[in-house]
Amino acid sequence: MSTAPADELSVTFAALADPTRRAILTRLSTGEATVGQLAAPFALTQQAISKHIKVLEHAGLISRSRVAQARPCRLEPAQFEYVADWIGRHQRTWHERYDRLDEHLAGLREAGPDGTEEE
Amino acid sequence: MSLPGEFTYRRTHQASRELLFDCMTRPEHLAHFWGPDGTTTPLDGITVELRPGGRFETAMVNVADGSQYTMHAVFLAVERPSKLVWREADVEGGMITTITFTDLEDGQTEVVTHQSNVPPGFASAEGRSGFETSLRRFDDYIVALTGS
Repeated sequence: MSTAPADELSVTFAALADPTRRAILTRLSTGEATVGQLAAPFALTQQAISKHIKVLEHAGLISRSRVAQARPCRLEPAQFEYVADWIGRHQRTWHERYDRLDEHLAGLREAGPDGTEEE
Repeated sequence: MSLPGEFTYRRTHQASRELLFDCMTRPEHLAHFWGPDGTTTPLDGITVELRPGGRFETAMVNVADGSQYTMHAVFLAVERPSKLVWREADVEGGMITTITFTDLEDGQTEVVTHQSNVPPGFASAEGRSGFETSLRRFDDYIVALTGS
């Protein structure tokens, strides 16, 4: 997962940039659903919903069953973990860095009011 | 919060904007805190050419095995004490880091770090402002979905 190219991340984030698609994902987080079921709450044609679903599928965020005729959609947790991992990795870096900066600042305060420190 | 390879990190520090800006831009400060846990960032491995177009390079040495990783960045904006922007061309398609320093007027400063690797064409095609708005709560959303 962590070896996925940056391009893949862009596709995934682009898929997530649309509120309708995020609503579809939220619905799928409660369980599988067919295209018809997913379209029901929206003032959109089933064709429009199908387009959104194709984008989500292409981004790897959902998959469609090859078995049942209605081809229900479901979330692909691995792709979400990949995105969450990207954010988490960068946040962790800065969190740790600013923790160490705070320690450094505390050291400067102890060193004296002029903020200088002996090397 | 975040987006297409984009996120914002906020911290409040007990220091003036000037001191925090200097901490982020002077090698003698950076050597104390820059590298990830488990690394050191020796003074002689830090290059700071503090002007737009100037180099910002930090060589981080892994304490355990001595291996080294160097960040290669170029400053895009240097506005002491309020703003600092640099770009790493070789990270994830071009990573831009923007740090803003806001005086909270009680001896504290809020430091907001924003990182983005959104390709410019991609962002404009989507409509930059709407795009950012629609993804503003993305972190929370991902956390809710993954339950992590």
